[in-house]
Amino acid sequence: MKESYGVRLPGLELDDLAGKLIVLEGTDGVGRSTQIRLLKEWLEQQGHAVLDTGLTRSGLVGKGIKRAKEGHTLGRITLTLFYATDFADRLENEIVPALRAGFVVLTDRYIYSLMARSMVRGLDPAWVRNIHRFAPKPDAIFYLRIGVDELIPRAVFTRGFDYWESGMDLYSAEDMYDSFRKYQTALLQKFDELAEEFNFNVIDARPEPRIIFEQLKAGIDRILTPPLARAAVTAPAGTAEAGDEVALEEVPEDRRRRA
Amino acid sequence: MKRYGDHRIPGRLFVVEGIDGSGKSTQLMLLHQWLKAEGYGVVFSEWNSSPLVKDTTKRGKKKQLLTPATFSLIHATDFADRTERNIIPLLKAGAVVLCDRYIYTAFARDASRGMEPEWIRELYAFAVKPTVAFYFRVPLEVAMKRINDARAGFKYYEAGMDLGLSADPDESFRLFQGRILEQYDRIIPEFGLTVIDATLPIETQQQEMRLMVLAKLTQAKQLRVAP
Repeated sequence: MKESYGVRLPGLELDDLAGKLIVLEGTDGVGRSTQIRLLKEWLEQQGHAVLDTGLTRSGLVGKGIKRAKEGHTLGRITLTLFYATDFADRLENEIVPALRAGFVVLTDRYIYSLMARSMVRGLDPAWVRNIHRFAPKPDAIFYLRIGVDELIPRAVFTRGFDYWESGMDLYSAEDMYDSFRKYQTALLQKFDELAEEFNFNVIDARPEPRIIFEQLKAGIDRILTPPLARAAVTAPAGTAEAGDEVALEEVPEDRRRRA
Repeated sequence: MKRYGDHRIPGRLFVVEGIDGSGKSTQLMLLHQWLKAEGYGVVFSEWNSSPLVKDTTKRGKKKQLLTPATFSLIHATDFADRTERNIIPLLKAGAVVLCDRYIYTAFARDASRGMEPEWIRELYAFAVKPTVAFYFRVPLEVAMKRINDARAGFKYYEAGMDLGLSADPDESFRLFQGRILEQYDRIIPEFGLTVIDATLPIETQQQEMRLMVLAKLTQAKQLRVAP
């Protein structure tokens, strides 16, 4: 049982989805992909089928975005819509079919990253929110949070500064370091606002990966009943979800009570 | 980000709307020729023509990968690229910009594919409001005859074949374009489109169009480029 943030797409039913949608959010270089890898392995060991996915990987648009970004010529409105197209394609062809088949879908970023990037670039927040309203509400959103001072050494000693991750399209007069600091500071602040609005589970991303992994496991455990136990549950699903405005946080609470 | 109706820029924007076979492209071409001859700095922009996005749209259409949602979003992306890189800068520079199809095409088509009308309108909120938007009204049968006379058969998405309305392209086209006409009937009063009877002789329609365009250019003398 899932619902979107208010807009229904033709032919995309969300109310018969058996799987769980789990989102990992966080800025660039915070360690999301490491955690996704660990979580996938762990979930599969537990007997769950897992689909891991991320941004700009869709069959329709993925290549187009990559090519366009190489030329650095995309406007901010265009980029926002290009990413939204990519997301819609992935949602319809990958995420929803997997959820329908009962998979746990682990997604490396979701609409919140897309919204944060666009809002930091000065686009009208109401316009940005509206575009993404067709996205299904996830079962859990984990936000790996880090400060810009901890983030900088990670960028320097791993991949170096990337043009887009440094917001060079915004602050082209600056060098990459100054631009990176400014851009990521603005982005982190926007994430903090979104964390409140969309009820993120905030996880401190400073400790070593093993510790973060334990916290994520505990969080995910709460929303997943083991496959065997689930088969034994006879109560009809969704009885507790009476109101239309069920906060995201309440889903795990509800499952915990029933378990 | 400026919203629809909030842009204050010196150029003029004229757009044509209507179903396929309404003759709108012919009329716009004639208007273009006249404006050029009159010495205006005039630029033409076509629906679905952004060099950055076109390849993706083309591939999606050719391989029939597009759903109502991605069809809607990829066209909005294309339009955004043209708006950001062409239409707005040109209007700021004082040009006369002509568009063959504009946001109302998306409103009519996407709603006919089942997308929520309010969502689509907000999606295009960044668009510049045209100086005049012409709508070429034509009965469906006339439009179909014109298309059939001009080329063999309808294209897949143009006939709404993706919606599975009918396996017969002619019948599918009729049903889908019928839906689009209904949407336009709602859009015309909502956005104040200027209706032109597209069954009149070509010259008569063009005369009507030129008179209306001229009235909007009188306070725009600075747009004239030296002959």
